[in-house]
Amino acid sequence: MTMDETEILKEFSPEQIVKLNEIIKKHKGKPGGLIPVLEEAQVSLEYLPMSVQKKIARELNLPLSRVYGVVTFYSFFTMTPRGKYTVRVCLGTACYVRGGKAISETVEKELGINEGETTPDRMFTLETIRCLGACGLGPVVVVNEDVHGRVKSSKVREILSQYK
Amino acid sequence: MKVFRSHLLICGGTGCQSSGSLAVKKALLQELDTRALTSEIKVVETGCNGFCALGPIMVVYPEGVLYVSIKVTDIPELVEEHLIKGRVLERLLYREPVTDKIIPTMQDIPFFALQELRVLRNRGLIDPEKIEEYIARDGYAGMAKALTEMKPEQIVKEMLDSGLRGRGGAGFPTGLKWQFAAQSKGDIKYVLCNADEGDPGAFMDRSVLEADPHAVLEGMVIAAKAIGSHQGYIYCRAEYPLAIHRLNIAIAQAKEAGLLGKNILGTGFDFDLEIYQGAGAFVCGEETALMTSIEGKRGMPRPRPPFPAVAGLWQKPSILNNVETLANIGQIILRGSQWYASVGTEKSKGTKVFALTGDVSNVGLVEVPMGTKLGTIVYDIGGGIPKGKKFKAAQLGGPSGGCIPIQYLNEPIDYEKVVELGAIMGSGGLIVMNEDKCAVDMARFFMDFCQDESCGKCTPCREGTKRMLNILTNITQGKGKEGDIELLEEMAGVIKNAALCGLGQTAPNPVLSTIRYFRKEYDDHIRNHRCSAAVCSALFKSPCQHTCPIEMDIPSYIALIRAERFEDAYKILMQTNPFPSVCGRVCDHKCQSKCRRGNMDEPLAIKFLKRFITDNAPRPKIDPVPVTRKEKIAVVGAGPAGLTTARDLALRGYKVTVFEELEKAGGMLSWGIPAYRLPRNILDKEIADIQALGIEIRLNTRVGRDISFAQLEKDFNFIYLACGAHKSQKMGVPGEDLKNVYGGVEFLRDFNANEEKWSRGEKTLGKKVAVIGGGNSAIDAARVALRLGNDVTILYRRLRQDMPAAEEEILAAEHEGIKIEYLVAPLKIAGTKGKVSSISCQRMKLGDFDSSGRKKPVTIVGSEFNLNVDAVIAAIGQVPDMSFVDPACGIKVNKWDCFDIGNDYKSRTPNPRYFAGGDAVTGPDTVIGAIAAGHQAADDIDSAIRKKNGERPYEKPALEKIDVPLIIDEETVETPQMAMPEMDNAIRKNGFAEVELGFTPENAIKEACRCLRCDASV
Amino acid sequence: MAKLTINDLKKIKEKVHAEMALRDGDRRVKITVHMGTCGIASGAREVLDTLLQEIEAAKVNDIIVTTSGCMGLCSREPLVTVEILNQDPIKYEYMNPNKMRQVFKKHILEGEIQTPFVLARGAEIIK
Repeated sequence: MTMDETEILKEFSPEQIVKLNEIIKKHKGKPGGLIPVLEEAQVSLEYLPMSVQKKIARELNLPLSRVYGVVTFYSFFTMTPRGKYTVRVCLGTACYVRGGKAISETVEKELGINEGETTPDRMFTLETIRCLGACGLGPVVVVNEDVHGRVKSSKVREILSQYK
Repeated sequence: MKVFRSHLLICGGTGCQSSGSLAVKKALLQELDTRALTSEIKVVETGCNGFCALGPIMVVYPEGVLYVSIKVTDIPELVEEHLIKGRVLERLLYREPVTDKIIPTMQDIPFFALQELRVLRNRGLIDPEKIEEYIARDGYAGMAKALTEMKPEQIVKEMLDSGLRGRGGAGFPTGLKWQFAAQSKGDIKYVLCNADEGDPGAFMDRSVLEADPHAVLEGMVIAAKAIGSHQGYIYCRAEYPLAIHRLNIAIAQAKEAGLLGKNILGTGFDFDLEIYQGAGAFVCGEETALMTSIEGKRGMPRPRPPFPAVAGLWQKPSILNNVETLANIGQIILRGSQWYASVGTEKSKGTKVFALTGDVSNVGLVEVPMGTKLGTIVYDIGGGIPKGKKFKAAQLGGPSGGCIPIQYLNEPIDYEKVVELGAIMGSGGLIVMNEDKCAVDMARFFMDFCQDESCGKCTPCREGTKRMLNILTNITQGKGKEGDIELLEEMAGVIKNAALCGLGQTAPNPVLSTIRYFRKEYDDHIRNHRCSAAVCSALFKSPCQHTCPIEMDIPSYIALIRAERFEDAYKILMQTNPFPSVCGRVCDHKCQSKCRRGNMDEPLAIKFLKRFITDNAPRPKIDPVPVTRKEKIAVVGAGPAGLTTARDLALRGYKVTVFEELEKAGGMLSWGIPAYRLPRNILDKEIADIQALGIEIRLNTRVGRDISFAQLEKDFNFIYLACGAHKSQKMGVPGEDLKNVYGGVEFLRDFNANEEKWSRGEKTLGKKVAVIGGGNSAIDAARVALRLGNDVTILYRRLRQDMPAAEEEILAAEHEGIKIEYLVAPLKIAGTKGKVSSISCQRMKLGDFDSSGRKKPVTIVGSEFNLNVDAVIAAIGQVPDMSFVDPACGIKVNKWDCFDIGNDYKSRTPNPRYFAGGDAVTGPDTVIGAIAAGHQAADDIDSAIRKKNGERPYEKPALEKIDVPLIIDEETVETPQMAMPEMDNAIRKNGFAEVELGFTPENAIKEACRCLRCDASV
Repeated sequence: MAKLTINDLKKIKEKVHAEMALRDGDRRVKITVHMGTCGIASGAREVLDTLLQEIEAAKVNDIIVTTSGCMGLCSREPLVTVEILNQDPIKYEYMNPNKMRQVFKKHILEGEIQTPFVLARGAEIIK
């Protein structure tokens, strides 16, 4: 077992590592395979700390700087652990025009965290996003996969309580 | 067998259970038990009744009464009323829906009828997960034609002829793009689909992929054949999981059916396709960045040339088309370029899909021919702006685009026109913004977006957007400086020219376009720290206070009502407003239009709360102010503007004399507004308080007749002209000089001066009265005429929603039985012996939009008709009567018959001894506008005097400190605005007693509790 | 599915066309639940589930339930189209499970259009 694998084991289960190995194997050798590997790894590991990036870089035969560069470029990837639920408040134009800003402030108040942060109990991570394409329902709040449309400030607590 | 006198059948179906029938049943059993009725009444749970949306439902036998939507809390009343007293509880009774409602067809609904579906032709009609249903609607027929009957050059030619331009934003001709790639040498070429729909507010690509994914695949195969490609990618953003899911299914089905992959349809042509999931970077919508991203790198753009048609993905010739473009292709090939080009404008052919969102009633996807008017999209298809708000601008093209303001609603939307107006077509996100949106804030919003999404490769974009954002943020926070606008414009020019890719080059567009159309708003933020939309919250305490022309401290007096400290609340009112009980009744309450609570349910009833205070607390006592200054001031006109100036100057120690032509002070408040809206004793008290300061009001004294301008100049140091606008505009139709044809304000003035005679019938309008106009004075005149016993019809040339009168006034008029005919204009008044006998009118229809965003009425030829009437009141607008002005005094009257105030002044006229304000400067405006003008003039006159004397500027004495409690509810529950109790319709029509009765203390406190306290910083 | 030829395309078209128009087979009613992202977010999935449960409970087998994409009018979602053989399609707006139950029982089983929930009848015209 290599150094960074010991490091990975501190944070992830052996099953997760097996899964990661499968993901790497699936895309290895394909041109442009790095981003799909990272995407799938992110889905099963939830976040991509340096240890994981090192492993991916080594096994795909890429410089670590390239992997790190891609991880930090795209907003989909994160290097820190997230809450069980990711609350995404849409601040695309249509939602903004319909009062998305007030919604995001209310969510911040309700959860007691700022944008980009995770609650201490690791239940919620709060993000704002740029348009989900559900503009017809603005303002929109997404909790993991559930899209909540036509949200009003007075409904925020009710929505979040479904996940507590 | 036991006999029960009643059976209660509670529905126990799934629907009713989900709305709480079990709890209702439990409560019912309990209630029957408490009242010892269990032996007489039996409760039975039944199966579903079918009224599932109205559950829980209960039928009471033997009567067979059906109750719906029963709540647990209704049970005691229901048992008491129905089972004990034997009365049906009306409020829970099932009512047959109005059965004569005619169900409209899809073609009766403008949202659908005005669309022309090409890209969206399969919407809602096919199951996107079944390839057969796509095939059934001519799917893959275009591809079959291209593969079997057409050579690549023919396909390219068909595309060129169709005139189709890229729907992703830039509008580059699709055929040309294909031609370049087709001519590039190489055996490996790629067809790419851009489904990285990143423009916020655009969602047509998502919708197409979700509803009709095969249309995109078909387009890609045709493109592949045209350029000689055998491999394609669809780059789809990860935020669209359902689109990716349906694409995957579609690709699998197409492969299985031999419509993708090797030897398609047995024609020997091979084309394979993969989905590539984006990872969240807006810049990847740019074509070279997208290709870099597929290559597995940071998605940064690269310089062109070489163009992708020569060296694209993996350096091979590639074409990239967006989803909407590709969804057009199959139809173009199948039905021909002629068909495609049959709609659209000269340079923009076919249709365009817009994602219509924002402040518009019908939100959704709209496909219309290129060249459709903006107003048609927003008003006819979109259904206009909700909640009676005004259209401000449409934002088109997302962060690369710009705003199109109200004066361009008639413009046909196509690529060229949109660019000319300073926006871009972009992917077609069309976001409607109402008057509550701030232009500077929107520019900041988009700049924040571009700054955040800048990939950082080139300096102009990376650093330039940061600097521009910084300046914009400062402006929205009240830290803007003179020269900021010019600096923004300069930087915008540099970034546009020097940035590497489209993102950077277009990033300044929203800023430039908002500066172009809303420069005044920028200035207002920078110079006056005002945000007229009440959005930039760093500039104010609360939106209501910021919106009030005299910035009344609304949150404080509402909080004091909640705390039941009405006397203190009254003191707050008097700090800024000498006419609070007038404004509590007749103010146009702009404050309420910006109340944040309105976003949740309804705005607070601020006006009514203000009136409540003045009705329920003792009025603070007024003592005379000793004259301490030598300068004397004359005020011409005892209306709200003149009296406010007089009061403010008296408070500063000046001797003020007010000259009033009529026999009573108050201006329009006395002579225009009828007593049923503003009782005379209420107004008199406020005027008396102003007089009590030591101000002299000389009634029946017309300046220029009873006292000359020369005399005024001799007796007074400064003169304030606030003569109001008391002359009705003429209609300009024959017969206007007949007897019994009145101007609106003239009629009201005559009535108020001779109320006795009118009431006794010594003066009369006759029986039937026509009132022309749609403003407040038209409604006032009509309601007065009605109270004099007339049959009244209002004729208005536009529609109800276009009436300038306050909604509550129109409603009251309707309730009282006044008929309103819309889309009618007067042509001629006919009469015998000098007296009116009839008015001939013609019908109007609505044409193009005017600069106010309303549709212009146009006459319908041959629609003339006659109305027999005894009197006509023309209330189509007022102007000041300037006949008293002595031209020798050096003040200017402009073409609108108003006093001219130079650009550099707010109330000073060209003659420095004369100031002017109120309706006499602005034309007909509101009471609160006049009070604000009065405050302004007092400030200006006082500072002119002090400046001349070399004195220090006036310092307002410290206001009495009133501690305002901060109580905010933990949770806000949606509650509508408290309704104003009104006098019964039947009674109020017969007299001039006040119609609105005022809140009770319970009403007021309850309403005050709805305040969200936007002023509080927590 | 076998690999298709151009002739197959035409055959599929005719066959499915007939099915979709309820001309073929023993189906009496076709119900389409419009399920784009907007519709699902407004509750279309719950509406669909309710409908399927009701059909099962009612033990009827002359009804096809299908889903399709967005109808374009996002602000009225969830939308459901009910087509009964030889009648104009009826589009219902702002649906929820209880309205769906009511429409199923009153309109689909008993033939009484639930006017208060109706957006429009007919279909869009494709030129």
